[in-house]
Amino acid sequence: MGQGEVAGLVGQNGSGKSTLVKVLAGVYEPEPGGRLFVSGEEVPLPLAPGQASEIGLSFVYQNLALAAGLSVLENLTLGQRIGRGMGAWAPINWRQEHRDAAAILGRYQVRLNLDQRTGELQPVDQARLAIVRAAEDLRRYRTRSGHKHSVLVLDEPTVFLPEDDVDRLFDLIRTVVADGAAVLFISHDLVAVRSITDRVVVIRDGRIVAEVPAGEMEEQALVDLIVGTPARASGSAPAEPARAGEVRAGQADGAARGATGVSGPRSAPEPGQDVMVEHVAAGRLEDLSFLIGAGEIVGVAGLIGSGAEDLPYVLFGARPAISGTLRLGARTLDVAGLSPQRSVRERIALVPADRAVLGLSERLALWENVVMLVEDEHYRGGVFRRDELLMLAREAIERFEIRPPLARAVTGTFSGGNQQKAMLAKWLLARPRLLLLHEPTQGVDVGARRDIYRFVKTAAALSQMAVLWVTTDFGELAEVCDRVIVLSEGRPVTTLAGEELSDDVLTAAALRQIREVR
Amino acid sequence: MSAPHEAATPVQDDRRQERAELAQPASGRRLEIERWAILIVFACLVAGFAAAIPSTFLTIGDLSNILGSQAVLFILVMAVLLPTIMGDFVDLSLGSSLGLSAMTLAVLNVNHAVPVALACLAGIGAALLVGVVNVFFVVPFDNDPFIVTLGTMTIVQGLIYVISGANSVGVVSTSLSNWIFTNDFLSIPLEFYYGLAIFLVVWYVLSFTPVGQKALVIGQSREVARLSGVRVNRQRSWAFIIAAGIAGIAGIAYAGTNGTVDPTAGSTLILPAYAAVFLGATAIRPGRINALGALVAVYFLATGTAGLELLGTQSYIQQIFYGAALVAAITVPKASRDRILKRKRAT
Repeated sequence: MGQGEVAGLVGQNGSGKSTLVKVLAGVYEPEPGGRLFVSGEEVPLPLAPGQASEIGLSFVYQNLALAAGLSVLENLTLGQRIGRGMGAWAPINWRQEHRDAAAILGRYQVRLNLDQRTGELQPVDQARLAIVRAAEDLRRYRTRSGHKHSVLVLDEPTVFLPEDDVDRLFDLIRTVVADGAAVLFISHDLVAVRSITDRVVVIRDGRIVAEVPAGEMEEQALVDLIVGTPARASGSAPAEPARAGEVRAGQADGAARGATGVSGPRSAPEPGQDVMVEHVAAGRLEDLSFLIGAGEIVGVAGLIGSGAEDLPYVLFGARPAISGTLRLGARTLDVAGLSPQRSVRERIALVPADRAVLGLSERLALWENVVMLVEDEHYRGGVFRRDELLMLAREAIERFEIRPPLARAVTGTFSGGNQQKAMLAKWLLARPRLLLLHEPTQGVDVGARRDIYRFVKTAAALSQMAVLWVTTDFGELAEVCDRVIVLSEGRPVTTLAGEELSDDVLTAAALRQIREVR
Repeated sequence: MSAPHEAATPVQDDRRQERAELAQPASGRRLEIERWAILIVFACLVAGFAAAIPSTFLTIGDLSNILGSQAVLFILVMAVLLPTIMGDFVDLSLGSSLGLSAMTLAVLNVNHAVPVALACLAGIGAALLVGVVNVFFVVPFDNDPFIVTLGTMTIVQGLIYVISGANSVGVVSTSLSNWIFTNDFLSIPLEFYYGLAIFLVVWYVLSFTPVGQKALVIGQSREVARLSGVRVNRQRSWAFIIAAGIAGIAGIAYAGTNGTVDPTAGSTLILPAYAAVFLGATAIRPGRINALGALVAVYFLATGTAGLELLGTQSYIQQIFYGAALVAAITVPKASRDRILKRKRAT
């Protein structure tokens, strides 16, 4: 990184961008062999957590790390008050702090009310506050150490911002650079990368594949570099909300049968039902319509901020929707009026990404979590059939290969993969008609990941259940889904299936759509 | 992936798993000890007092005293249990609900000559009303129940002073005292059996119905419960209201036991009630608020208090016993568990 330079870092999901950031932040230990030079001096790796600030690195993550309940002033000066031994006892002169903070904001030409609660600020102003705070740390570092260098790392700073606000953010970044810091700008937003950076570094599978001056690069060429192969196969045909689909018919059954060895196409005890999603609008999602056939696994691909991550929760009634309908066979549900209770009754299942908070009750026994949805069926004659439930849980534990197979063990003691399987077991025991999955293999090892793919495919094929699979792991979508809808800015932009379905094509489609919408 | 038990029949499999679970290192066995810890200490306590003061401690009179004297507290404990189990950790107003119920009964019966049965119903009704008010402010607005009930507790306490004119009111109709305190069955005052009946209902619902299981999930992780289709807010609301109703019944028992109702009646009982609930959460089903544990805890504390009384200690020494038992009960098992975890990590 040169002084006063803005470098872009782009790459597919899983290409190693965040790993690099985490190594620099001292979260991960790199494998030996890598070397880091700061101002010509080598800094030994791995870095300790917190060491980054001593070598002139500062980070602004997507979640900004601001205390929403504190004032702008407090957030700006908080960092200097933490963990300084006796310094922590020095009295605070609030008037002086106020003046200093105003001066800092003035230096970066950011106008904010210092006494406002940070949580009440516009998202862009929160981002600007976080950047000012990080830039100020760097400036202090430069005056303290006498070094000229310092690097501000921005990880996906524009994801949730409208275009006008992005420009305001860029003005700030230019001020920071003029002040003397270099900026490493990590983003999926190629338009933003091209407009703010001097140089773009493309990484793929953990290696730098290209380093090019930003201005000289066509976006199509950049996309090709990111995904590796010229990824034009898909074309960017306008999205067509797929109606009862020729795409799905043969293919879904074929894939499912291949996975399970089931011979007949309809060996299920009950005929499955198609699921139609019509005109759903909620949050970032605008007028989204699509169909999931019985037994079909439909993926939704979208970069962070595309609205894809809201879709499972909206269709389950766990997040508010503005409008839309959901047809389950003959039943028509108003998405805006859905509640989790209603969804459970309609046999819609949601496997959420946040397992610890939303998915499983970690302090209960495993069996209690697994049978949570079917308890009522085992309450007869005023007696809760605990033995039956325990038996049911044990069968599920065996079927879903949960290890160790201890029904009574506390849920929180199981590994991530096994908890994830337990969560799947919990929802599949309820015999859903529509299964909504959000990042179902997050933080899960390869073996458990294969198992989860297999369980979902088997269940979809056997009970002709419709599955909606949302993840930012596009390789996973390409592997398990019959069809994938690519979302951008809340809109479906293309649908991919069959031969054209691959990690690279999905990434290319998702990246390209940002350009088209903007 | 082929576990050895795969071919076994379900029953055998079941047993083998059961054994495997029991054979789990330390934590399983430790949990067993933890479960019965209070009962063991309880037994030691009884043995100790029996050895020290055999002439008075092990008598029917004393047993009757221990069981009977704590009936009001015991009923209140069952009330306290309900919101607590659902994760609404403190409903401070339950003590005042008890007081309001008792005072309403006393004022209507003594000052206005309302028939005692009707006055009882009015008392319970007043308590239920407090529960409804709590629900209104806690559930839809998603306020912290501690703060809301701190407010309602203070308001209700004020109302008690208003309706009583800040005086003790009595003596309530003796027919009430007869049915609650004076008459006995097997030498134990009837109010003990009322408490026992309420306990049985609460215990049954919490342990043997899906409602109880759902309450547990709500208490442990509210969002998981919500996304599993549990009507979280409805169930929390009922917990507040039914708890207030039970506190109202405790108020009736209080009035029947004491004859006169003091304006400060409930406020001295609420903290011991919480002590018993939290102490009870360390027994029988450790880590979970449970009815049986609370039953054991109430009578453990009552026995300790009664024994110390018979030994001739001052009542403030008994307070120290109460507080120390609570703090020790929640700390000791955790300290040992943490040590086990550390050892596990080290290996």
